[in-house]
Amino acid sequence: MKDFAYVAAPDVATAVRAAADAPGARFLAGGTNLVDLMRQHVERPDTVVDISRLPLTSVEETKSGGLRIGALMRNSDLAAHPLVRTRYPMLTQALLAGASAQLRNMATVGGNLLQRTRCPYFYDRATPCHKREPGTGCAAVGGFNRSHAILGTSASCVATHPSDMCVALAALDAVVEVEDVRGTRRIPLADLHRLPGDTPHLETTLAPDELITSVELPAPAAAPSRYRKVRDRASFAFALVSVAAALEVTDGTVAAVRLALGGVAPKPWRAVEAERVLTGAPATEESFRAAADAELAPAVTLDGNEFKVELARRTIVATLRDLAREGSRA
Amino acid sequence: MTGLVGRGVARVDGRAKVTGAARYAADHEIPGMLHGHLVLSTVARGEITELDTSAALALPGVVAVLTHRDLPPLRVPSFPYLKGFVPMQDTRVHHSGQPVAHVVAETPEQAREAANLVRVRYRAERPTAHLAHALDEAFLPPLFRDEPNEFVRGDAGAALEAAAVRVEQDYSSPMMHHNPIEPHSSTAVWDGNSLTLYESAQGIVFTRRVVSIAFDLPEANIRIISPYLGGGFGAKGPTWSHTLLNAAVAREVGRPVRVTLTRAQMYTMNGHRAEYRRNLRLGATREGRLTAIVDTSTAQLTRTDHGVYNTSESTLRLYDCPNVHVRQLGVRLDLPSSSYMRSPETTAHFGLETALDELAHELGVDPVELRIRNHASADPHSGEPYSSKHLLDCYRIAARAFGWARRDPRPGSMRDGNVRVGWGMATETHTFSAIQSNVELTVDVDGRATLRAATQEIGTGTYTVITQVAADELGMPLEHVTTLLGDTAYPDAALSAASATVASVIGPVSQAAQDARKAVIALAVADPRSPLHGVPAEDVVAERGYLFARGDRGRRDSYRGALARHGRPVIVTGSRLNSSGHSYGAVFVEVRFDPRLATLRVSRVVTAYDPGRVLNHRTAHGQVIGGVTWGIGFALMEHTMVDPHTARVVNPNLSTYLVPVSADTPSVESFFVDRPDKGSTALGARGFGETPGTGVPAAIGNAIFHATGRRLRDVPFTRDKLL
Repeated sequence: MKDFAYVAAPDVATAVRAAADAPGARFLAGGTNLVDLMRQHVERPDTVVDISRLPLTSVEETKSGGLRIGALMRNSDLAAHPLVRTRYPMLTQALLAGASAQLRNMATVGGNLLQRTRCPYFYDRATPCHKREPGTGCAAVGGFNRSHAILGTSASCVATHPSDMCVALAALDAVVEVEDVRGTRRIPLADLHRLPGDTPHLETTLAPDELITSVELPAPAAAPSRYRKVRDRASFAFALVSVAAALEVTDGTVAAVRLALGGVAPKPWRAVEAERVLTGAPATEESFRAAADAELAPAVTLDGNEFKVELARRTIVATLRDLAREGSRA
Repeated sequence: MTGLVGRGVARVDGRAKVTGAARYAADHEIPGMLHGHLVLSTVARGEITELDTSAALALPGVVAVLTHRDLPPLRVPSFPYLKGFVPMQDTRVHHSGQPVAHVVAETPEQAREAANLVRVRYRAERPTAHLAHALDEAFLPPLFRDEPNEFVRGDAGAALEAAAVRVEQDYSSPMMHHNPIEPHSSTAVWDGNSLTLYESAQGIVFTRRVVSIAFDLPEANIRIISPYLGGGFGAKGPTWSHTLLNAAVAREVGRPVRVTLTRAQMYTMNGHRAEYRRNLRLGATREGRLTAIVDTSTAQLTRTDHGVYNTSESTLRLYDCPNVHVRQLGVRLDLPSSSYMRSPETTAHFGLETALDELAHELGVDPVELRIRNHASADPHSGEPYSSKHLLDCYRIAARAFGWARRDPRPGSMRDGNVRVGWGMATETHTFSAIQSNVELTVDVDGRATLRAATQEIGTGTYTVITQVAADELGMPLEHVTTLLGDTAYPDAALSAASATVASVIGPVSQAAQDARKAVIALAVADPRSPLHGVPAEDVVAERGYLFARGDRGRRDSYRGALARHGRPVIVTGSRLNSSGHSYGAVFVEVRFDPRLATLRVSRVVTAYDPGRVLNHRTAHGQVIGGVTWGIGFALMEHTMVDPHTARVVNPNLSTYLVPVSADTPSVESFFVDRPDKGSTALGARGFGETPGTGVPAAIGNAIFHATGRRLRDVPFTRDKLL
């Protein structure tokens, strides 16, 4: 790790000012991803602005009946928060499906939103990677790509976004509040992450010195919801496929549905096409299959990840089927 | 004898370990020490054309950056140095992740950052990284450690041809890595022409020999210290190049230097389980008696060595089959040298135990019954009788505890709602070695005993078991005996590998302790000041540190009393040879498979073993838990991915190289026949560590077949293969 200037920010204003004054600065919160990347020399910031002491750790109810979550809330604290557990169980499930207890105790909401891909080639500086060094190539396309994305990819990048939490936030229509020296703005979660296109190194729509201060959740829906993660071992592994879903069925018909996918795309993937097919359709296995097929129709696979299409299809259908059953029992 | 042997005594080093008092290789504080960091090659095959160290040298704290231009010539040691070449002696690159420079700085952080600033250019050649890309180059490697790679018994070809039933299949496994939690660390301290190494070594006597050859130093000038290991699993058995390079660098810079490998470096610096393919052909009678086994395996070799570590031992010796032909072929690839990795015989055994399940299914014979019908009551290869073997008891005990009799043999027949339940089994077996070992036991003037041996505590309980045996033979409380290991200043003893420690060391310990007891009793009975004066020595018994006259316990002396009067320590040595052999067992596994998302869980594991006499039931059970967990990893997830184009390891970290977590591992039941092997001088105990787990991958695959009707022959059995 190279030497860097370290600024411990006591308040948000100091933090964003420090970042504005030092181009290429990185905010340090839990450090569970940034420090790894610095050790691997993938991230080499000249300045690290430590935001871990900022007072952004509360959960407040909003006037519209939602929640505002401080960006420095630890993942474990957020998962255990009574308002989250009772009103947004899908978010608690997603958080607890991520990483290990030790990592969740360190990792923050803001850091989770901005965590970088676990594509192994991104971490290996001896191999080409457009995301790490634009213009060098992509080693994953012809290499080991079993864990890679099938939706939203481009010729230059097939890496997945690794977060579980973000998949739930995508399904929940979360809004991210950010601040810099110019002021604050609100970004719908769906617009926070970019698809790779020709610029996979640009992962979000944030300016380099913008700081995420909170995440706002709209009022919860009454529909049953679930986060389901499918992975290579029972715990402490990134998703092969994950599904965040909420399904409201009225008289056997899908009245409302929210569906988002993880492990299959470069960003938390809101399954808009599946939702369109499902809304108003009978809540049947056939509809769930048609919805999954519609969402996965544009999938582009590589040598190693073809199975993800079938696995995603089955996971979507299984999750919706369970929710429909749960809803009919209620 | 106080009944300590066999008891599940808690670790005598447990407190030191959980409080952090135990000093591992990288914990020793050496005044004036510098920190080294290796720069590893980024290409797998080619020449170094340019090496620019200026940016690294300019970094504050950096003392030196040494390359092939700076190092003195080192002689290439033979086994147990495995690479066949010493890096940083010339410009040739034999594999990705080979040392090309060694940075030395005041702090580890400075060294690591400077290593990142060393610029190396290569003339790269296209590497070959996988067996599939070079199978036509497979050859029969020459002798390795005096052992051939081809074995012939009877006429397997003809017997196969004539067999009523045949099974022919291919089985394969990828490269895997040991991943001990403690990384390799070596600290070199020179004093003139003498060298002390603080080392993470499974065999300090081995390491001393390798270092002696490389540096052309007498062994007497070299001391290796390794009191604790955070696991090894074979990765620390051979001596690897970082130890030699770091010692050479320390000599050049004239100060002690420590190098500790990073996790990623441990994927190219210290061996691995080689990628492996195997074609097996079994011939049998309709009754299931094996008549022929033709076993042709192909393992990854390198262009600099030809060690075959995953041998077909169980094909040759486990079952009573008259006609066997084993060929262990190799293919030279541009990869680091492979080596021994925990229970190396598992690699081949997986195929054999799977093929037997296929044969059982084909014949409609119960898999346990098939194994019983082919049980060997004398070594099938040598014809020698066994001194003791209770494998049939293991099948019976484990099958009963598991409930095997309730198994419906039809695949897919056992269900729990949507979940399909599968039951599978396999024989467990592994060889163990016996290595000449010596110990020294001192009973000091305070009446306490100290035992010294240059073997190691790899984490399995060596300190504890040695202490138990010594205390038992001496007739002392456990806490009156201190065991000191991991220092070549002590008498030469076995390495902690090849399941050899107990088989090699316990005999000498037991002998030394007996001799010490007799010596102290002789002192007492000869001493007019002792209450035991004049009692015949054979009528004196030792218990809890006291010496009693048998039949008259009022006449009592103690080690403390006898030694205090004697005024100087009693020192004895022990060295008793033992012979190598095999341990046996049986494993029964239940899997639960949900076909909807192809979710597989190992839900139950029941095992039974014949390791001869069990010296400590707690540590023995610990070995079973460890072995079974390794078996689950082998079967379901472990896989070092090597990029086909660059021959670089893609997943050199514990985030993407998956091993089982607790949630993947059910509780494991273990039973022990626990009858002493009269052929073993280690109180009837055999080497055992590597036996548990050897059958687990096949048992899991066999259970998957039973649950699903689908036969998998290529590990790991990941979800995509089960969809």
